[in-house]
Amino acid sequence: MPDLSMIGGAASVPKGSAHARRGRVGGGRGPLEKLYLMQLIPALLVVLIGILTIYSASLSIPEASFRSHLVGVALGIVVAIAVWRYDVRALSNMTTALFVLACVLMVLPRVPGLGVEVNGMMGWVKLGPLRFQPSEPSKIVVIFLMASACAQYNGKIETFRDYAKLCGTLLVPLLLIMSLDLGTGLVIFFIGAVVIIVSGAPRTWVLATIALIVGVAALVVITSMIDGLPHILKEYQLKRLIVFVDPSVDPTGDGYNLQQAMIAVGSGGLFGKGFGNATQALTGFVPEAQTDFVFSLFAEQFGFVGSLVLLGLYAWMILSTVLLAMRTEGFFSRLVLVGCVAMWTFQVLENVGMCLSIMPITGIPLPFVSYGSSSMVVQLVSVGIVQSVWRHRQKSA
Amino acid sequence: MDVTLLIVLLCVALAVVLIVVFLVFGRGEANFTFDIGGAAPRASGGSDSSTEKTASSRLVGLAVAVGAAFTVLVGRLWSMQLVSSEEYAEQAESNRRSTIYTQAPRGRILDRNGIELVTNRSSLTLVAEGGVVDDAVEVQLIANLVGMPAQAVRRKLQDTTEGYQSPRTVSVDVSRRVVAFVGEHPDVFPGVSIQQRTQRSYPYGSLAAHVIGYVGTVTEDQLKEGEGAEDGSVTYRSGDVVGQAGVERAYERALAGERGEQVVFVDAAGDVLGYSTSIEPESGSDVELTIDVPLQDAVEKSLASVVKSQRDQGNDCVGGSAVVLDCTNGEVLAMASYPTFSPNVFVGGISQSDWSALSDEKANQPLMNRAISGQYASGSVIKPLTSFAALDNGIATPESSWVCNGWWSWSGKSTDDTIMKCHLETGHGGMNLREGIVYSCDVVFYEIGKGFFYSDNPEGMQQTFREYGMGSVTGIDIGGEEAGRVPDAAWKESYYTDLGYSAEDSAWKGGDNCNIAIGQGDILSTCLQMALTYCSIANRGPAYRPHVLRGIRSKMGDGFVSEYKPEKILDIEEDPAYRELVESGMSGVIYEEAASQASHWTNLSVPVAGKTGTAEQAATNRNACWFGCYAPADDPKYVVFSNVDGGSWGSSSAMYVCRDALGAIYGEPDTSSEESSVGD
Repeated sequence: MPDLSMIGGAASVPKGSAHARRGRVGGGRGPLEKLYLMQLIPALLVVLIGILTIYSASLSIPEASFRSHLVGVALGIVVAIAVWRYDVRALSNMTTALFVLACVLMVLPRVPGLGVEVNGMMGWVKLGPLRFQPSEPSKIVVIFLMASACAQYNGKIETFRDYAKLCGTLLVPLLLIMSLDLGTGLVIFFIGAVVIIVSGAPRTWVLATIALIVGVAALVVITSMIDGLPHILKEYQLKRLIVFVDPSVDPTGDGYNLQQAMIAVGSGGLFGKGFGNATQALTGFVPEAQTDFVFSLFAEQFGFVGSLVLLGLYAWMILSTVLLAMRTEGFFSRLVLVGCVAMWTFQVLENVGMCLSIMPITGIPLPFVSYGSSSMVVQLVSVGIVQSVWRHRQKSA
Repeated sequence: MDVTLLIVLLCVALAVVLIVVFLVFGRGEANFTFDIGGAAPRASGGSDSSTEKTASSRLVGLAVAVGAAFTVLVGRLWSMQLVSSEEYAEQAESNRRSTIYTQAPRGRILDRNGIELVTNRSSLTLVAEGGVVDDAVEVQLIANLVGMPAQAVRRKLQDTTEGYQSPRTVSVDVSRRVVAFVGEHPDVFPGVSIQQRTQRSYPYGSLAAHVIGYVGTVTEDQLKEGEGAEDGSVTYRSGDVVGQAGVERAYERALAGERGEQVVFVDAAGDVLGYSTSIEPESGSDVELTIDVPLQDAVEKSLASVVKSQRDQGNDCVGGSAVVLDCTNGEVLAMASYPTFSPNVFVGGISQSDWSALSDEKANQPLMNRAISGQYASGSVIKPLTSFAALDNGIATPESSWVCNGWWSWSGKSTDDTIMKCHLETGHGGMNLREGIVYSCDVVFYEIGKGFFYSDNPEGMQQTFREYGMGSVTGIDIGGEEAGRVPDAAWKESYYTDLGYSAEDSAWKGGDNCNIAIGQGDILSTCLQMALTYCSIANRGPAYRPHVLRGIRSKMGDGFVSEYKPEKILDIEEDPAYRELVESGMSGVIYEEAASQASHWTNLSVPVAGKTGTAEQAATNRNACWFGCYAPADDPKYVVFSNVDGGSWGSSSAMYVCRDALGAIYGEPDTSSEESSVGD
């Protein structure tokens, strides 16, 4: 595969950087030592699975262009290599700049002339020939923002003022994105929350915050359901929640989609129906089978065994990143890794869980697999970030 | 969706989150190290150590949370893909499979000689795929080609009654020119093709239309009926063409055959992706009727001409019916109803204009089979039955005699307000029972009615009528039969009380007896019912269930796979002396009642016995004109019955139809042109 050779080629560029071999992980020789293979290998395998899955989708779904998926992968790898070579610790003192950047990214789609609608979806920006979803890169920005904001406290947030400040830092971009793209908003919320918790926020404050959030969420849902009270959730969002509780409520809309996706997954059985044989997902019964419901497309073709392999690769990749975080000394780097872990975990849990009806329906892509270049580039960049942390682990910032 | 459920769910979620967080964080502050690698705790700087410990254990907590999330996913996958996988697989299968049905050619309907009454012809049908509707230009081109409004073409294209995957029928019976044009311009008409289909065809036009019935698209009710049906019966699918009346309906199971099935693989939009198994359609069986086409034709023509001549004479004649039965086995040799219709208008769906023409009030209900559904007061054709009733109950003896002065009253006085007239207002003079039948003297039968009123068995007449099958259906094997009505005291009371009449007006009176004795008043009967009573008279007891089916033909070879077996439904005992009296009376009607009447029968080589009848129908102010007879009188084979709604007299209308029927049977047409207008 071209992407592998590209990594290999890039890895051989920096020579002679002095470092001591350390650790029980990695431990390769020569240029390979600059790569955290424990995380890179599963990530690349998942990318391969994604390429295979999107190829099958491209056979019958006109919106899924295999070529543009490959372009996305290639572009992502190029950017990831650049990130890998760059020491991300340089960003640790740029909290203000990151905050502004995050807010700008959230606002971009609302700027007249820039924001466009693609396939009936808001949240896209058109810059010259380039069309992308700023909400995707904003996930990375938020990871750096929260990591840099939290790292200042060296692992122990002692005053409530600091804690409130951190929550406020997260809240501003969150509020900006929530009304435009609830899915990305949830991802960003999850990233921020996990980073704050891991950076040492006292248990009681966190619990109080969670209780507050749950309370507010419940209030929002309930007021949205009762006529006469302000409907903060859009009708389709409310419907998705209802469908999640009882898929039979709406058998032609979201409920139907969900049931079809579940049929696709369930009918895959132990070994799946075979490559290209997805009678559910590839014949139009499952909507968005190349993006939101891509897991049902995969699971129908490759069955329980395939799903186990895919989830295993994700778990390997994520847990190896957690392991790296444990062994990383700098708080900033550690929190950046935690942010990546939070992002992947939440997106996998949500995307897969949605196809299994254990999570409500939202438009969150499956990392490295879903069709869509914005997401693919951002996910590969996150791999680049992990690799950068590994590569620069000995040098002090 | 109720709000409470959602709130409960949210609370549960909250509780779970709190418990998980407590567990995770609890470890952070517990007094033990949960350190798998990472930096070793330092001896000094307690605060540092605690920070490191907190961060490290929170990372462990993160790893545990990640593991938990993946465990949940795998657990759910295990349940869906291994435990319930078959259920989902079934649903997926039913999603991707669809069945295209092809109708089997219906069986033919033949007469007793094997003449085709109904057959199938091939019809060139222009069909198009449903997607064509999106192409406005093509729709317009099709519309121009077949000469239909574009809107109508669009509606046809959107009609999925034949199944979503099936091509849509745009126009049936298209011309060769259309076929050629479509063939030459495939690029102009993508998705359009010509199919060869079979349609019902009627070589004899409207002949025996009421017996044959017609076909049409299956109705909602029939679909529902089919759903609950037991195994083996025909189950319908929306869009099926099925028998809607007559033999087409009654023998639907034999005629329909079995539809062909082609299983296809489809996508979510319903487009066909590939083909699976298929079953060829199996055509229906041919059905052979007891109807005799030449006889049927003669009867229909005679009936039509009689109605026409009655109209020409200024009568409000709305229609009529006739049946010819083989009294030895119940076979219906001919059954006619006027006005009639052409079953052909129902082929491919009846048009609105044809339907309104058939249902127009002025059309006098051409779809109704008057022979079995038309209920009329029987008039004097009932008198042979009244005579049997009188003799059996001792109301009259063969020797009884009465004097007819042309009128009659309960007390015998002319001042009586119960005065009833005989049809012969000048009076018949002295009459015995046989003469009463021959001359149809009403006074004789008024006396019998009065006699019953005072007898020990006041409803003896009704008993006899019912015994002969009146007031109940004959059970002929085509639908739509009416039961008629034999009124009695109980019926009158409930019927008229329901209509709001007083108890006095609803009570059975002597006059009611007099009325039903001559087939007037509230009595109702159908042509077929009366024919059945004459079958019993002709056979001296037994009568067989009338039927139009001779048998269902075998698909291979000549024989029948199932044959209609004669079923004796009446077997009435009468004193042979009484039979002799009644038979002799009925023979007298033919040859003695009037010379003009006899002139129509003396030119027939076989002896005939019969009875005329004319009943005044108060509701419509029209006369129900009847004639019924059997022949040969000495060894009966045929019973012929006819009625005409709105003629002058039975002898001047219905009798001609019966005479023409026997003329057709024996090849001896009626040569008499004498006007027969004997009253009643």
